[in-house]
Amino acid sequence: MRFAVASVSRSSLWLGDDHLLFVECAGYTETYKRFYYRDIQAFIIRKTTTRAVWNWITGSLAAVCALAVFGSWRADGLDSGMVIFFSIVFLFFAVLLALNNLSGATCACQIRTAVQTEELPSLCRLRQTRRVLDKIRPLIVAAQGQLTAEEVSARMLETIQAENPAEPPEPASPGSAPPVIS
Amino acid sequence: MSPLIQCPKCRAWLLGGVFNRPDVAPCQSCGTPLQVEVFPALFRKILPGPTAQAVLVEGESSCFFHPQKKAVVPCAGCGRFLCALCDCELNGQHFCPACLETGKSKGKIKTLENQRTRYDTIALGLAILPVLIFYLTIITAPMTLFVAIRYWNAPQSIVRRTRFRFILAIIIALLQIGGWTAFFIVIATSK
Repeated sequence: MRFAVASVSRSSLWLGDDHLLFVECAGYTETYKRFYYRDIQAFIIRKTTTRAVWNWITGSLAAVCALAVFGSWRADGLDSGMVIFFSIVFLFFAVLLALNNLSGATCACQIRTAVQTEELPSLCRLRQTRRVLDKIRPLIVAAQGQLTAEEVSARMLETIQAENPAEPPEPASPGSAPPVIS
Repeated sequence: MSPLIQCPKCRAWLLGGVFNRPDVAPCQSCGTPLQVEVFPALFRKILPGPTAQAVLVEGESSCFFHPQKKAVVPCAGCGRFLCALCDCELNGQHFCPACLETGKSKGKIKTLENQRTRYDTIALGLAILPVLIFYLTIITAPMTLFVAIRYWNAPQSIVRRTRFRFILAIIIALLQIGGWTAFFIVIATSK
């Protein structure tokens, strides 16, 4: 069952019986990556500003076209060719703007296993990503079990303290060296 | 790999607040909205692999690749005896490294296959793209037919399993060949 497709990068995610299949189409070849439910460690979702960027681009172009329509209308009247042309272009950008906003907030999603962290370009909208996660989560929980937010934080602190018993855990800081490397 | 997770933007280590929450929460370091879904595999210890035991009794079965090591299992592909070091388990079957490599390169072991060529897309591309420069179709139409017939039974995409593109490519190629045939007949008869 396919449930997410990226139009630009031509990648898609497919739900298998015991794994998640990531398909990447490059020209005339397809590359497959399998993530077994028992091996998936985490999904990392980061909200991005891509939607705002596209809003600015399509909004600006739509506004320019709207001004051109207005200008042509004032100069040549309502039935001139320029008015019709710019109206069509305006509609095109207006539809793009509406679709961009209707699709919801944008995000970047990564999947992590013990040996890799892979970007999933097909999961680029937050709402869609959550819908996909809602489908995958029960399968991963069936294969591994579940952790609550408190359990995760507690286990992370335990790991840090077990590997660095002398040093208390410091708050996260950008670019700092990992506290646990043996 | 450490069980700690980094913020994808600022690379700071995430310690709490963003894990297994229903909504996004800011990274403690850079404030980027994050949602991290963590599963128990993150904290699973990676156990050391099995070590092969030396042959102690004379006449005991030994590994094909390491004659001094004790055999523990036969390879499901070639039947050779394998020690614990050479035993590669995959979906309940035991393979030697050579069979595993052969299975991957020849596509015999489905779960190891990580790439396929989409011959149906090649055929369709050959049929459609030269239409822009129509004279090329005199060469590409027979090529399309060749690719479509030659690779009709070749493994298709794992996820799309129809021959629609092959059929479409054949129809377009036949139309192009028919067009060229008609063109040459018209030229021949007009003289």
